[in-house]
Amino acid sequence: MHALTAFMNGVTRLNNFIGRWVAWLVAVMFVLLLLEVGFRYLLNAPTVWTNELTQMLFGVYAILSGGYILAHRGHVNVDLLYSHFGRRTQAGLDIVTSIVFFIFTLALLYFGIDMAQESIGNLETTYSAWNPPIWPIKATIPLGAGLLVLQGLVKLLQDIAIAFNLSYYNPDAGQSAGDPL
Amino acid sequence: PAVAQESFTWKVQSHWPGSSSSYEDSLVRLKNILEERTDGRLKLTLYESGALFKPQETFNAVSRGILEMGTISPAYAQDKISLAGIASGLPFAFRNVWEAAYFHQNLGFEQMLRDEAAEHGVYWATDKVYPTEMVVKNPINSWEDFTRLKIRSSGTLQKFLTEAGAAASYIPGGELYTALDSGVVDGAHWGAAQGASSMGLYEVAKYHVQPGLNIAGTDAIIVSQKALDKLPEDMQLIVKQALDEQFWVRTNEYLYKERITLAKAIAEDGVQINTLPDDVQERLVKTAQSMWDEEGKRSENAQKALDMLKSYLTDLGYL
Amino acid sequence: MSIEILTLLFFGSLLFFLILGLPLAFVLGGVSVVFLYFTWGFDSFYMVASQIWGTMGSFTLVAIPLFVFMAMILERTGVANDLYRMMYMWWGGVRGGLAIGTLFICAIFAAMCGISGAAVVAMGTIALPSMLERGYDKNMALGCINTGGGWGILIPPSILMILYALITGVSVGQMFAAGVLPGILLMVLTIAYIIIRCYFQPHLAPALPIEERASWPEKFRALRAVILPILIVVMVLGSIIGGLTTPTEAAAVGVLGSLISALVYRKFSWALINDAAIRTFKLTGMIMWILFAAHAFSAAYQSMGAQQLIEGFVQMIPGGPWGIILSMMLITFLLAMVLDPVGIMLITLPVFMPIVESLGFDPIWFGILFVINMEIGYMTPPFGFNLFYLKGVVPPSITMKDIYMSIIPFVIVEIIGLALIMIFPQIATYLPELFF
Ligand code: NA
Ligand code: NA
Repeated sequence: MHALTAFMNGVTRLNNFIGRWVAWLVAVMFVLLLLEVGFRYLLNAPTVWTNELTQMLFGVYAILSGGYILAHRGHVNVDLLYSHFGRRTQAGLDIVTSIVFFIFTLALLYFGIDMAQESIGNLETTYSAWNPPIWPIKATIPLGAGLLVLQGLVKLLQDIAIAFNLSYYNPDAGQSAGDPL
Repeated sequence: PAVAQESFTWKVQSHWPGSSSSYEDSLVRLKNILEERTDGRLKLTLYESGALFKPQETFNAVSRGILEMGTISPAYAQDKISLAGIASGLPFAFRNVWEAAYFHQNLGFEQMLRDEAAEHGVYWATDKVYPTEMVVKNPINSWEDFTRLKIRSSGTLQKFLTEAGAAASYIPGGELYTALDSGVVDGAHWGAAQGASSMGLYEVAKYHVQPGLNIAGTDAIIVSQKALDKLPEDMQLIVKQALDEQFWVRTNEYLYKERITLAKAIAEDGVQINTLPDDVQERLVKTAQSMWDEEGKRSENAQKALDMLKSYLTDLGYL
Repeated sequence: MSIEILTLLFFGSLLFFLILGLPLAFVLGGVSVVFLYFTWGFDSFYMVASQIWGTMGSFTLVAIPLFVFMAMILERTGVANDLYRMMYMWWGGVRGGLAIGTLFICAIFAAMCGISGAAVVAMGTIALPSMLERGYDKNMALGCINTGGGWGILIPPSILMILYALITGVSVGQMFAAGVLPGILLMVLTIAYIIIRCYFQPHLAPALPIEERASWPEKFRALRAVILPILIVVMVLGSIIGGLTTPTEAAAVGVLGSLISALVYRKFSWALINDAAIRTFKLTGMIMWILFAAHAFSAAYQSMGAQQLIEGFVQMIPGGPWGIILSMMLITFLLAMVLDPVGIMLITLPVFMPIVESLGFDPIWFGILFVINMEIGYMTPPFGFNLFYLKGVVPPSITMKDIYMSIIPFVIVEIIGLALIMIFPQIATYLPELFF
């Protein structure tokens, strides 16, 4: 049981760590876009790289958010019926529906790896005027999917603990949840 | 005979939106011809740009055999096809569309492309060759006018325009109209006349610049070899012949429609043709030629194609 | 299996898992994968990854985190609160005054931004707490933010209109011009609804008691609060109209404005920026994961033959030209409940447009009707981006059910607006005919 708890806390800490840093990319995107406006308008010399880099960072920003947001219960659901159930029933339902979650995220992980491998194999670049390597960005798809799968496992373990009153996870201690969104 | 009666339905992902004239003229035409010649044994289901796969992903999907057929710009397959850079057009190489057509079909460039694509399980057929031309808000009457320009561009041409001294930046298609209208950029290229017209660019930019930035096989039809092999031999032949015909029919028809569209824009939108002054053209050609060699470095095959192109252009008296 | 049965099963399973409380992004993604497996085979899952990759590369979406970031900074600096205090001083005597003010700000947002959603987040963060604090009814506050937030795609600039123009071949400029009057019409109708409703039911949006109303000197002093917001609006709108930036880049100018406000208010600190960045990340990421899955979902639906289904429907429609137009509106309304606008456009427009044109209707006018339908779709359950944005920023005491319920009267108002534009096409066609 100790190993389970350690695993759960480790994954959540990992997602929290990554999320806190990736969140700052919004500031980077802001600076890049302003730079481009400045270069183009003040110096009449638009760059070939700012918009493309912004777009790439945005992709990373979005795809890496999945696990962090799951750790903070930030993925929106429809609570019409769900909110009327008790905590144990909710946990039970979540265990059942987690099948759909894992079907999606594992398919994404599998084909994300496939896609990234191909890209890394070719050292793929964007072939734009700037032509930067694109493979590191593609590689974030399996990374983001993997982080989400891991956090989904944590959530599943938590739900099992709640549904069956197991001791390895105490929902009231807040050990694995973040602050609410 | 039992096998011959078997029927096939192919998913075809287009890189053209439905309003693009090529969607109807190229894809629907092909669909009708194939259905007719196979007596309905081969049906195509067409999907507009982005419906199943984004243009940049279509080659991969066809290569994996997930899609049976698709259309792309060679630029979207540059990581797989080392000739794609030359196929999507070296700036200021050809001066007439027939020259590009001859290069593809009679000098063997099309076969070279087909051989490279075959390594990825793809049968390549260029849909047509045609020019890419700019529209600008203010006429270019001098080199200074050109270097003052802020142009919306993409890919190799963006690099070319930047090296030539203009300020080229990439703006996504969805924001192009607004950007041109408000003056974020003063010029753009989106195909030539038909492309500019379909994006509404003549509403906000009244000068159509000639000559074109390049003339090239910018649209290609790709077929999954796996899907092709599943067809009985007579149908395989029908598909290949239809694709060969397509190139000539479409290249000619496209030229015709370009002229019609431009004439209409001149008559109805008050568009004027802005022919680049000779000195501007000369300087652009110079920049262009220094860039061609870059494309040759992609692969042995690309170098071979480039050498072939240069000797052809020499024969034509351009080099 | 026929596309009719597939459609029922596909959307049936979507609703089933939604009701069971699985987050939307995972329902959309999981259901797509399962159906793709049975209709197209294992390899087609590649399409899901590929759609996600395509969405990651969509430059115009970059405006979302930036506008959200701007709203989060404005909220934390107190600029937003001062703005609402000012509004309450001036409009306090009018029932529903804050809701009307919120709608105005939504319209300004719509003119700054080509996408929907930014205004919902901004107003959900800023206006909602202000209205609730002052005793406004939950449904009134939520509904007006939901509806106003959707105007971003009707009032130019609009990414959706550009997409419509691309798919149908109409002029972008004409579409933009056509959106202006319908946008104003919807605003007037919504304001009229609020005034009338609050006249009869004052408790929904109470006016300040007379003895608490501010004096004129106080009112004018409070006006200082609008200087910074107006400065930001001028910066953003000015940079778009003046040809300085594209609408996406203008979002960065908005962030710059909010940072200046933070400095002026002496609230600037790294802690504040960090906090705003984290909240922006959670909200944008949540929406992006829904978008990832939604794009996979509509691609899966299209691969199953959605377009043939619509073709079949359209052939069965009785009732002459107007019957056809009304049925098309109904089809888009129903699809907009469960699909994202881009998917709906790709599925329906290729079928609709030839018919609309052959019946002699103006495609610009039809485009406006279509865009308003998409706007309604943003707030109709179960799938609507405005709903999710709002859920992402509201306090936990407000449930999805509250948000769902709040939109009913506002959807009816929008449908009335839609009907008026159908009956009086000039509302849409007057400006484009004047300018082009
Ligand atoms: Na707008
Ligand atoms: Na909806």
